[in-house]
Parts: sequence; structure tokens; C-alpha cells
Amino acid sequence: MNLQPLLEANWQLAILPELVLCAGGMLLILFDAFAPRFKGALGPLALIIFLAAAWAGNLFDQTAIFFGGTYEVSQITKLFDLTFLLAGMLAILFARDYLEREGFEGGELYALLAWGTVGMMMMSKGLDLLIVVLGLEILSVCIFVLVGYNRRAAVSNEASLKYFLMGAFATGFILYGIALFYGATATTNVRVMAQWFAVNDATPLMTVAFVLLMAGFGFKLALAPFHPWAPDVYQGAPTPVAGWLSVAPKAATLIALIRLFDAMEPVLPKVSWMNMVAVLAVLSMIVGNAVAIVQRDLKRMLAYSGIAHVGYMTIAMLTVRDDSVAAVAIYTITYALMNIGAFGVVSLLIKNQNDPHTLDDIAGLGFKRPFYGFALALCMFSLAGLPPTAGFISKFYIFKTAIESGHTTVAIIGILTSIVSVYYYLRVVYYLYMREPVAGHEVPTGGGVFAVGALMIAVIGIFVIGIYPSPLFQAAGHAARALLLQ
Amino acid sequence: MPLLSTFLWLPIAGAIVLAFFPRAAAGAIKGFGLAVSLITFVISLGVLRGWQDGQAGFQFVESLDWIPQWGIRYALGIDGISLWLVLLTTFLTPIIFLSGWNAIKKHPKEYVIAFLVMETAMIGAFLATDLLLFYIFFELMLLPMYLVIGVWGGANRIYAAIKFFLFTIAGSLLMLLAIIYLVFQNYHQTGLPTFSIVDLYGTPLLPTAQLLLFFAFSLAFAIKVPLFPLHTWLPDAHVEAPTGGSIILAGVMLKMGTYGFLRMVLPFFPESSARWANLMITLSVIGIVYGALVAWVQPDMKKLVAYSSVSHLGFCVLAIFAMNQASIEGSILQMVSHGLSTGALFLLVGVIYERRHTRLLADYGGIARTMPIFAVFFVIAVLSSVGLPGLNGFIGEFLILAGTFQSHPVAATIAATGVILAAIYLLWLVQKVFFGPITNDANRNIPDMAWHEIAATVPLVVFMVWIGVHPNTFLKKMEPSVQHLIAQIHGRVEREVMVAKESSRHRVVESSSLEDSSPRRLVDSAGGAR
Repeated sequence: MNLQPLLEANWQLAILPELVLCAGGMLLILFDAFAPRFKGALGPLALIIFLAAAWAGNLFDQTAIFFGGTYEVSQITKLFDLTFLLAGMLAILFARDYLEREGFEGGELYALLAWGTVGMMMMSKGLDLLIVVLGLEILSVCIFVLVGYNRRAAVSNEASLKYFLMGAFATGFILYGIALFYGATATTNVRVMAQWFAVNDATPLMTVAFVLLMAGFGFKLALAPFHPWAPDVYQGAPTPVAGWLSVAPKAATLIALIRLFDAMEPVLPKVSWMNMVAVLAVLSMIVGNAVAIVQRDLKRMLAYSGIAHVGYMTIAMLTVRDDSVAAVAIYTITYALMNIGAFGVVSLLIKNQNDPHTLDDIAGLGFKRPFYGFALALCMFSLAGLPPTAGFISKFYIFKTAIESGHTTVAIIGILTSIVSVYYYLRVVYYLYMREPVAGHEVPTGGGVFAVGALMIAVIGIFVIGIYPSPLFQAAGHAARALLLQ
Repeated sequence: MPLLSTFLWLPIAGAIVLAFFPRAAAGAIKGFGLAVSLITFVISLGVLRGWQDGQAGFQFVESLDWIPQWGIRYALGIDGISLWLVLLTTFLTPIIFLSGWNAIKKHPKEYVIAFLVMETAMIGAFLATDLLLFYIFFELMLLPMYLVIGVWGGANRIYAAIKFFLFTIAGSLLMLLAIIYLVFQNYHQTGLPTFSIVDLYGTPLLPTAQLLLFFAFSLAFAIKVPLFPLHTWLPDAHVEAPTGGSIILAGVMLKMGTYGFLRMVLPFFPESSARWANLMITLSVIGIVYGALVAWVQPDMKKLVAYSSVSHLGFCVLAIFAMNQASIEGSILQMVSHGLSTGALFLLVGVIYERRHTRLLADYGGIARTMPIFAVFFVIAVLSSVGLPGLNGFIGEFLILAGTFQSHPVAATIAATGVILAAIYLLWLVQKVFFGPITNDANRNIPDMAWHEIAATVPLVVFMVWIGVHPNTFLKKMEPSVQHLIAQIHGRVEREVMVAKESSRHRVVESSSLEDSSPRRLVDSAGGAR
């Protein structure tokens, strides 16, 4: 068998970011093994590797398809690559100080972040559903270990096991769904599938396949009702990892879903599949926002808020067009900044990982540590979607897209639930600025240059996107048109 | 340098500089805040110097691309409707810093920063001529106010702050959806995306869509005003807010609602506004009487003034939906007057609260003897609020009632009782607090007003008298814009009436006559009668 035709020219250049991250991950582990005395340098080294990957991604600036029509590199995949790398870098910056403080610094954590990023890149670039699943599995295996990274903490082990068991099931659902689609269309490639859908009608069996796929991807996205793992896993995971976990895998899953929905576009008006997705979105917004109100643990609250945010992102995708791709791309970048930023501030609280990180722990933080308090308050305002933050402009884009696609009812539900969400986001601000610390129960805060730097990136990013979003819109708009088939 | 942008961004620039001040330098922080707000006020007066009389449209226009993909521009402008509200904002902010000079002991730095950010947001909302820009400023002012009530407020401040925030955000988020929908409809018909308020004025809408959008916008602004029955957040917010917060809340922030009705609701949805005018008028009249009656029985001074705000702002909304020249000019003047007189009342209540730490009427009596200067100022503020001829309150209320009477005589008559009730409850307050024997020994030795409190109150009194004696200074500048607004609304409503007549012989609205309602003539004749 001759493999030569499978490898197009410049394929090395096209997957250079992935190669850099793979090799970099191994380098990190080897560095840790051979120079255990320089553990402090691991974080900066990981950062350099991520920056190198970002630079590598810029070398190839065309839209092209590789490996026999299974792997696409284009503007939009690059934008998502940058989102994954940004999320990874923020997580590394927070993890550096966190791990040093907790005393279990090691190369594995950074390496797993790098490899997980490779998995996400494959999900966003894969034109073949099997490539997507491959990427998803690479990512999932990294997450299993990352969540249980603090092996001495019981919650961490519990979270890891939960995510592993549920995640394995979810992957099974996805594979089953793909198999059924393959049975009908004789392909796993979304481009070929699109051609099939353009001439053929959907069969009832495909509805089953779609439901299975949505169950699996819904689990990965933490869409209600597939969400119950999220609060437990975020609570148990090391806090910087939880922040990364709440953002990056969702972005990768969303872009993979957008490709799939786009391929199915010709048949979507004839079947009620998107109504199902709309129900999932509405349920997520309602469940996420309603349950977040009663959470006193910050990480659990952020988990439920994340469920609601995926709901918002999903309503932009109910009709796939270039605006929905751009809206999701911008929302995920914004979400990376504000959510990892929020988890980052929580990671600065010096507490035993087994104990809950409650609202009482941040009482009075706003005046005690003004910058941490301000950063967390800003992240909350941004999550609540208040101007002039990035969260406002991104949410505005989502609702604008939904209304222009004719999904006014879903948009109204989205607005009503975000009124609810304002309550619990503001409660954090209330604890930051309007509550005195409980006497004898003050929680010390750690942090160093790396964490402060990460917070600066988040704060500046939230303001810049919120106040001058135009360049980002332009980039995302250009890129989005490249993704879609029309 | 563009004038509007200069005084719009100056306060927030000051706030950023202030963030780097050392926490301990409280005096320098307050002085800096006061200086920034005074400079802002002086620069904003430049608008009067370059003002072109007789021009109806926006002046000092600035327009830059901001998000060109969606047709969103950084567009500012000022016209006769917003002119005095902008100046009221820049005028009141230094007064707040002066009045709170000694009262704010907790976190003075954050206090000054919050008010400076709020000032930019409020000026911006009045100046913005782009709908999204307006919305951003409209929301931005909530955050600092939430912190002001929540951090520096009274005992029950958290409840009040959250209630204030949730009420307002609920309305404005629905308005956001309505904005998106309105812009989308306009884009659908013209093919050009735009958020410019003026460009959106002509957007044709289906009746149902217009009705829903009308209610979405109205809800947001009615909560802000607040219109009965959406007023319940106001007494809580006012009572718990620190003095400065109350002054800004009553003085400027409530006017966002009435301004929104004038700038957006009426011209965007003239047909729906005309059709539902009776509902809005009924609610305002209920608010006027209800607010006055509830104010009458309040044992707490601040709550009394807060409910009087509900009553007084009812007049403004009533006048807006009466939709004629006199009533709308009266409404704008009343917004400014209310800012001055209620601002002064909150300031003075703050003065006495700082000394005695009680606001209950029952704890006072006869303090005109211990605090004569304070008593003089308080009585002036009360008389201005009551509507004594010669002071500002009279002009606004007179124009409103005279204008409303032409189209809605019953509503005007009932609303007029609000004026009488105001006299009753406010003079009742004066009598209880200032006259009679001193029953409470704690009131025998209260220090009178300090220099900074007098300095804060005197400018307010000056303008109360100015508006009262020579309102034409103010009316003259707003007249062309109001005329234009009314012509615009009536033009569209009459067109619709004609269409409706032709199709079903069904009369929808009565167009009120514009001829004999020039407010300047009304004021002159009132002056003659006086």
C-alpha cells in the first residue's frame, strides 16, 4: 500500500502546532525527570512551548485540507487554536503558583495540558468524525488524569473516577451515533455526508443516531440534562485545571458540532432535530442559572453558571450561518478570559482542596486584596453580561444572531434567565465588598507574579474586547465564512 | 478637541488616576475628586457658549466608527432635550463631593471613584445618539450605584442594593432584546445596519411588533422613573443609600427613565404611544396621588422625600404622554427642577442625620432655633418642591398641568391634587421638624451647617430662584427640539389616523391642537396673573 498520496505537500507545516505541543509535553516530563531540582522552571517552560505553538500556527496561512480530506486548516481553526492556547496558558500561569504552594509541582500537569490541547485541536480541525472522536479521546484521557492530579485529596480521586465512568459512557454514545450515521450515509466524513444530505432525506434511524450523538456531545458540553457530573468534577479538580476544563473542551466540542450541523443543513428544516437542541439549550439556561443561586461553594456555582453559558452558546447555533460560528468563537474567547480568571482568583485562596471554597472565604477580599477583588468582580460582571465588559458584547452577539435567525422565543428565555443569573454573580461582589471577613476565619491568599500576570491578561482582555471588539469581530467574521460549506 | 468627549471622559480618567492614590491620603482623594468634577462642570458649560439657538437637531455632533460590522458608531450629540439634563449632571456631582466631605469615613477612595465613574455613565447616556452606546452607559451607571448603596448605605443596604439592581436590570435586559429586534427590522427594510437613534426613528413596524417593542422599552424606563406600580425599589434604595447616592439617584438617575420616554419611546413608537397614552397617564396620575398620600404618613424624613419623588416624577411622565409643546417643555423643566429641589432636600436631610443619627420626624421639633441657617435652606427647598410661585417647582408643574389640561382635563385635575397634597405633607414636615417647642433635649445643641454644606447648598438655591424668576433662559433653548419632536410624533400619528379612517372609519387617537400652547406665552400669562 502506498501512503504517499495521503500526505499532501506542507502537511508538516500545517500540523506544526500539534507537533510542537506533543514534543513539548514530552520535553516537560523529561525535564522533570532529569532535573528534579528545577521544578520552578517547568511552568515558564510550558508557557514557552505554548507560545511556540501559537507562533507555529501562524506559519501556515492558507485554507487547505490534508490527510485525504480528513483534516482542515483554515482561519477559523486557527482562531480556535488560539482560544485553546490562551486557555492553556492562563491555566499554566495559575497552576504555576498553585502547584508550588500546594507542593506537588510536576511536569505531568503541564504536559497533560499540552496534550489535551492537541486533542482539542484535532476536534476543531477534524473533517472526519473519527478524527473528532480520536481528538476527544486524547483530550478525555488527559482530563481524567488532570482532574485526579492531586492524588492525596479524596475529592480529587472521586471527581476523576466520576468523570472517567461517565465520560466512557458518553464516548460510547457518540461512537454508536457515528456508526448509525455511517450505516445510512456510508461515510464518516462530514463533507461527504453533506453531499449525501443534499440529495437524500433523513431516515428515522438517523433521528436515533442524532439523539445518541447529542447525548454524548451534550455530556462533554455539560448541557442539561447531561450536566450532573460538572459540579462534582470542578469541585474536585485542582482549581486552575477546573477553570481550563470549564472552557477549552467546550469550545472544541462546539466547533465540531457546528461542522456537523452545517453538513446536515439541507435536511434540518424537515426534521425536528434542532428543536431537540433548542430544548437542551433552554433546559441548560434554566437549570444552570436556577441551581447556581443556591450554591455556596464558588467552584460549584461556577460549574452551574458554566452549564447556563453553554446554553447561551447553543442558541446561536440553532441555525448555522457565519454569524453563529463567529458568535461562538468570540464567546469562547471571552468565556476563557472571564471563567478561567474567576477560577484563578479562587485558586489563590489558601485552603485544603478537600474543603469547600465558599462565599464566606472571599468576604472582604475586595478591600483586603484590591486587585484580586477587582479582578473577580470584573469577571462576575462579565459573566453576568454587563457592559462595558467582553461578556456583554459576546452575549449581545449571541442574542443578535438568535433573533436574526428567528429564534426570538429562545432568546427571550435566555434574557429572562440571565436576569436570574445577575443575582448570584452580584452576590459574589456583595461578599467581596460588603461583607466583613468572619472573625478568626480569615482565609489567606497566595499568589505570585504568574497568577497576577494571568489576572492582568484576563482583566485587560475583558476590557479590550468589551470596549473595542471590532478587530476581533472582523477576524472572526472572515474566518467563519471559511468554515461553512456555502 | 471635541467638547462633548472631553467632559464625558474626564471623570473616568480622573477615577483611573485616583486608583493609584495612596489609600491613607483621604483629604487629597476628596480634593482631587472635587477638582475633577468642578473642571468637568466648567468644561461642560462650554456647550452654552457654542450653543446655536433655534436649531432643533443635535449640536456638537461627534461620530466615529466603532463596530462598523453592525453599524454601531461612537456618536454623541446634544439637543434641547438633553442640554439641561447634562448640565444638571455635571452640576450635581461636585455638590455631592462637597456635601459628603466629612460624612464618608469608610473607603473614601472607592467612594470618589464610584461617583466619578457614575458621572461619566450618566453624561454618556444623555449624550449618546447611538442606541448601543446609550445602552452601555445606561447599564454602566448601575454598577457604581449598586456599590454605593451596598458599601456606604444604611442598615438594610444589601437588600436595597440588590433590589435596585435586579429591578433595573430586568427592565433593561428586555429592552436590549427590543433594541436588537428594532435594529434588525430596520436592517431588513433598508439593507443598512445602523444603531443610530435618529436613523431608527422612521422604522416601519407591524402593529403587534410595535406594541411589544413599545412595552419592552416602556418597562425599562418606567422602572427607572419609577412609575406606579414599579416604584417599590425606590423608597428602599433612597432610604439606605448614603446622602450622595440619594442625591444622584433622585437628581439624575431617575431622569434616565423620563429622558428615555422622550428620546426613544415616543419617536420610535408614536402610534403605540398615542394608543396607550391613556394607560401611561392613568398610571402616572395614580403615582402622583399615591406617592403623595404615602409620603404624608411617613415617619421617616428620607422616606417622605423618596415618596415625594414618586409623586413628582409622575408629573413628568403624565406630561410626556399628554404630548404637547407646553407639557413636554414643562416635563423637561420639571426634571431639572426636581433634581435641584429634591437633591437639596436629600442633602439637607443628610446634614441633620449626620448630626443626630435619626431621621424620624418624632425626634425633632423646634430646631429652627438651634439651626437657623439650616432651617432657612430647608424651607427654601421645601417651598421649591411644593411649587411656590417664584421658585422653580412652580414653573414646571404649571406648564405640565396647563399643557395636560388641553388634552386630558380629568387627568390634569386629579394630578393637581398632587400639588395640594405636596404642600400638605412638606409643610407638615417643616412644621414638625423646625417649629414648635423643643421637646427633645438632644436637639438643643446641634451645630449649624458647616462651610462645605453651605457651599453645596447655595448653588442649588441660586438655580431654584433663577428657574423660578426667569424660566425663559431654560425654555428658550429647549423649544426648537421639543417642537421638532412633537411635529414628528403627530405627523406619524395623523398619517396613521388617516389611513385608519380610510379603511375602517375608525378613529384611533385625537390629535391635540398645537396652536395655543406655546409655553412661553403660558408662563408669561401666569406671571401676569401672579
